[in-house]
Amino acid sequence: MIRCQCPQWLGTILLVLSPLSIAWGEPPGEPLFESHIRPLLKAHCWHCHGEAGETKGGLDLRQVRRMVEGGDSGPAILPEQPLESPLWQRIVAGEMPPGNKKLSASELAVLKNWLERGAPTSRAEPENPETSSPFTDEELSFWSFRPVVRPALPITGQEGLENAVDHFIAAGLDQQGLRLSPPADRVTLIRRLTLDLWGLPPTPDQVAEFVSDASPEAYSRLVDRLLASPRYGERWGRHWLDVAGYADSDGYSTRDLERKYAWKYRDYVVSSFNQDLPWNEFLVEQIAGDELLTPPYRNLTPDQAAQLIATGFLRMGPDGTGDGEGEVQTARQEVIAETIKIVSTAVLGLTVGCSQCHDHRYDPIPQADYYRMRAIFEPALDVSNWRNPTARLVSLWHDEHFAKAAEIDQKKQALNEERTRILDGIVSEVFERELLKVPEERRADARAAKEKATDQRTPEQQQLLKEFPALNVDRGSVYLYEPQKINEHNKKYDDLTTQLNSQRPPEDFAHCLTEVPGALPSTRIFARGDFNQPREEVSPAELSILCQKLPTQISTKDPSLPTSGRRLAWARHLTSGRHPLVARVLVNRIWLHHFGAGIVATPGDFGALGARPTHPELLDWLADWFVESGWSLKSLHRLLVHSATYRQSSRRHPDLDRVDPENRLWGRAAVRRLEAEVVRDSLLAISGRLSDRMSGVPVPVAPDEVGQIVVAVDTRDSAGRPTGKSVPLGEDEFRRSLYVQVRRSMPLSFLESFDVPDMRPNCTQRNSSTVAPQALLMMNNEFVVQRSADLARRVMGMAGHSRAEQVRLVWRLATGMTPSDRQLIEAWEFLDAQAIAFADLRLEGEQPERRPDPVLSALASYCHAILCSNRVLYVE
Amino acid sequence: MSNEFPGRHAGQGSRRHFLAENSWRLGTLALASEASRSAAAAPPKPVDLPNQFDLRPKLPSAPPQTQAMISFFMQGGPSHLDLFDNKPELEKRSGQNFGGEIKYDNAAESSPKLFYGPWKFARHGQCGMELSELLPGLAEVCDEITLIRSMHTGVNNHGQSIYALNGGRPTGGRPALGSWLTFALGAENQTLPAYLVLTDPGGLPVLGVENWHNGWLPSLYQGTVIRPQEPRILNLDPPRGSNLATQQRFLELLDSVNREQLSQRPAEHELAARIASYELAARMQTSAREALDFRQETEATQTLYGLDNPKTREFGIRCLLARRLIERGVRFVEICTGNQTWDHHGGIVTALPDICSRTDRPVAGLIKDLKQRGLLDQTLVHWGGEMGRLPVIQNEKNIGRDHNTYGFSVWLAGGGIKRGLTWGATDEFGHKAVENIVNHYDYHATLFYLFGLDAAKVAFPRPNGLGTILDGQAGQIVSGILERPPTSA
Repeated sequence: MIRCQCPQWLGTILLVLSPLSIAWGEPPGEPLFESHIRPLLKAHCWHCHGEAGETKGGLDLRQVRRMVEGGDSGPAILPEQPLESPLWQRIVAGEMPPGNKKLSASELAVLKNWLERGAPTSRAEPENPETSSPFTDEELSFWSFRPVVRPALPITGQEGLENAVDHFIAAGLDQQGLRLSPPADRVTLIRRLTLDLWGLPPTPDQVAEFVSDASPEAYSRLVDRLLASPRYGERWGRHWLDVAGYADSDGYSTRDLERKYAWKYRDYVVSSFNQDLPWNEFLVEQIAGDELLTPPYRNLTPDQAAQLIATGFLRMGPDGTGDGEGEVQTARQEVIAETIKIVSTAVLGLTVGCSQCHDHRYDPIPQADYYRMRAIFEPALDVSNWRNPTARLVSLWHDEHFAKAAEIDQKKQALNEERTRILDGIVSEVFERELLKVPEERRADARAAKEKATDQRTPEQQQLLKEFPALNVDRGSVYLYEPQKINEHNKKYDDLTTQLNSQRPPEDFAHCLTEVPGALPSTRIFARGDFNQPREEVSPAELSILCQKLPTQISTKDPSLPTSGRRLAWARHLTSGRHPLVARVLVNRIWLHHFGAGIVATPGDFGALGARPTHPELLDWLADWFVESGWSLKSLHRLLVHSATYRQSSRRHPDLDRVDPENRLWGRAAVRRLEAEVVRDSLLAISGRLSDRMSGVPVPVAPDEVGQIVVAVDTRDSAGRPTGKSVPLGEDEFRRSLYVQVRRSMPLSFLESFDVPDMRPNCTQRNSSTVAPQALLMMNNEFVVQRSADLARRVMGMAGHSRAEQVRLVWRLATGMTPSDRQLIEAWEFLDAQAIAFADLRLEGEQPERRPDPVLSALASYCHAILCSNRVLYVE
Repeated sequence: MSNEFPGRHAGQGSRRHFLAENSWRLGTLALASEASRSAAAAPPKPVDLPNQFDLRPKLPSAPPQTQAMISFFMQGGPSHLDLFDNKPELEKRSGQNFGGEIKYDNAAESSPKLFYGPWKFARHGQCGMELSELLPGLAEVCDEITLIRSMHTGVNNHGQSIYALNGGRPTGGRPALGSWLTFALGAENQTLPAYLVLTDPGGLPVLGVENWHNGWLPSLYQGTVIRPQEPRILNLDPPRGSNLATQQRFLELLDSVNREQLSQRPAEHELAARIASYELAARMQTSAREALDFRQETEATQTLYGLDNPKTREFGIRCLLARRLIERGVRFVEICTGNQTWDHHGGIVTALPDICSRTDRPVAGLIKDLKQRGLLDQTLVHWGGEMGRLPVIQNEKNIGRDHNTYGFSVWLAGGGIKRGLTWGATDEFGHKAVENIVNHYDYHATLFYLFGLDAAKVAFPRPNGLGTILDGQAGQIVSGILERPPTSA
């Protein structure tokens, strides 16, 4: 049975720690049932008193009318003596709700106030909550469910604003008597922009070119150059891969099997970003690319293959149905649940997953809606006719590949038969020899015992074979008796097999989602989320709260398509340009990555528990503009990074800090720590090691001798023991972190230290922590030390022996800046003292002729300090 | 109640003593209010997780009898028949066919002949514990230990039996014992890792790093390896090729570069926080280096651990480090021998004395040292492998013994364990545990009890419910070996 997917403890934490009273929007004015009390009772009480026909003690708390009527033990509300009301008494005594999750002090205060005012409602309550509209006016008019309407640009007191973004931001600042900060200097700006659009620092030449370009077009040219580079897709594709939950392994169980072809989806995403594939097409392909094609998917053109690979989006969640661990039915149900979580948080920005077991506690998503959404995916994720991950792969071979493979396979089969025949011969030889050790009079019995099938042996025969266990020799154990012969045998046939395999065309698959044409499984609501308790059948549909203003139909079977057409219909609806959430959620994400926080601070939750937009008009303006301008991401980037808001200095000033310490008015740029991949890629780039090889099979990861996960070929034996072998990776070792395998159970230790997300199942917003293990890693980790040495050698090669030039180059490569005189002097003293210290340093067991050059060591130590510094780890 | 819970360093007023005693007082209060609350509320919530995981010290749910654990993991399967479990019947019938049913791992080399090793057993200490002459050091401290002769996992290969003893089930991917204890209790020292593993120059045990893996607990609770050679802790020691002075200069430069930037950006707390985190990291380095500097110990102490003898020096250093770490508030220290060191399928007559002579004296030294420092009362010491060996010969040409997980011996000492006790028994040949059988889950229930925890209740959410070390198995606390068993038992 599947347990409730919203962990109770998570709810508790949110309640305790998030600024919930703000997020919940503590509606202003006197407390009324619909606006103040209903959400509270829904969250805490309805599970037992009102929802899904459950009314414990006969009590239904969905309407004031019913509370006054009461249940088995009388009225719950006594209008004449409000604080004697059993509702209040039981709650305040801590008896209700049961469990440890109680009403907070502020919730109690609101409830008390409301009761004392006579438990008012904002309008007359309907007779029957079931037959009336399922949503209150408050829910229907919730900000994120309202249609997007492009607002007029606000009038501000600040002059010279050319960019629409700035009008909204300046207007917000105006109200507090504040203004936008002055622009950042050019060095800061190019570093910010390059890290932002590429995830790499600018080179000294790029900085110099930009700084010396006096043309008013300089900035635009820079933006265009950065957006045109493939580095852009690598950077921004990674943001989307977080949301999609990209991983190269199945997760779910501890086996965490590798997904050999997931990388094709990664490459599809990177290339779509680089080509600026319009976002509406990108979404349609990811949700229903297979439905744009005709099965069977054979002899596909590259474009067709890309559409199929795009559906990898729906195959990113953990999938334990192929690993033989755990309970099969549960594992299948989990795949669907995780996929819905990914899609709904990524595209809708709603925690639809919370309505799997019950109506959503905070958002107007009835449980039935969850199953209607599930019905959209069920023809492809069909539990009654399940396909495990391997069976879902679709070959990208063309007919001639299949023919060649069949020919080779035939030869392999013949070879295997020969191999087994010879092996059996060795087994019989050994048996005959071991038989001679049995007393002669018992040999015939022993032979008979051995020849009998295991389950048909008599007790005497079993005993006999126990007495002479060596007689049990078989194909599996014969190597213990004839190690050399078996080794030779194995080697011979392994070599022959390898030869044949090399003639076979390499396997090539799409890791994708497809339907079996004609299969239309029914979808039923599961009582309390338990798949063993199916209830009424539902049809595929968009969430009903989203259909109130934008009616839409998803038919059970589109007669014009070989597949069900459900996902295609839903994808078309999402990309109609009138969906209230899709564009809002997307532009908020893009804003988040440019500015360090979203206009809505909770990019994966646009519901009641999520944050409210700091600038709702700006969000709507951007959403509408984005759709109108053809869903082009690159245009959106251009708009945002050209704004004065983006180009501001990040310097704090007291006036701003006093009013807006968290920078929710965007009166300055944010100082941000680089993300995990950007830290690693920056070190590679600055030290001159970075490979620009794109796409393809991921760079492998493996545990090293102490269990740290590093970039390496896994050479452990089948029992997981280290063999001590190492396989050189060459240039692959220095590829961008995007191309390092994402094994759910083995995150690269370097990236993990810097908060790379744990894909369970996806990540809508990363953490950015500052903990001592990061500092230790930067100070002492071999990877960082090696890059420091690389940088020192690079600088010596480029700048020659002028110490001042070396130091300047270190700074320019690492930070884009030119060091001050004070910093040059400090460097001078450091290099002198450090070189002397290294010259005096004697290491145990060191050979004099192989001692490192102390001057080079000193420079490496200097480089190391700069690489560890906040100048490198942060973007200003 | 706190009277029942003497401080660890009686009279020394150590940090650990202070913390432990005070935290227990707080603990009783917390328990009392918890009880009254759960009486009022209906079903108690299964598990409370913090929003952010850390290693700060946590209160156990009951008075703890031990604060820390040192586990000697003797991977491979030490022969209980030749070390701990003398069998006169085996001696009498040595060389004869066994006749009974037996499960071999290697049938090709199997032999039905019983084998009594060439080593003499004798009784030692006031308790009269019978031990092999291969363990003269242990014989000197046998009045401090409980020898369990009835261990049982019943899964006959290394990997599975390690999984069972370390993770609770014979399957992989589960959190290691040390991960559970640090998850539940944190550690009292925030400048050292809470869970440390001292590995052997002979390589990692079977299953490698899985032996200290956090499984599905947060990775914070993974064991940190102290390597058998320098640098002993990765990322904690300055890079090779530098020393304290060069690193100090490096840190000063880094600090100066960072502060120069901060001075231009007053109130940028994040930048200030990272400056502080480099300072903390540097302190962690110092405290780790200090903790690992066994040369600070007196010559007498070093000799106690066998550092004066090349044969015992390496293992002795690790035993001494274990004490220094425990003393500084580390919760769990594991000391490993190398890959399959005790897996004597052949050549047992020479190999077993060899490994015993490497390890016996340092282990005994540790027990003596813990005792003389008043640490033994609150430090649980465990010594054992994942299995024992069969009473019959494997490989008559080069005598060894095959695997046996149906009955084998381990010993425990300190932290609430009875002294000078022999517990449980195997059959007349030492083949199967027959009396007071201790399964791996009983062992876990007992350890958790000693730490003031309930092995069935320390839990972490899993996709299909709550994960615990017992995983639903009926682990019984082995009250007979405890100085202060649970009152209900």
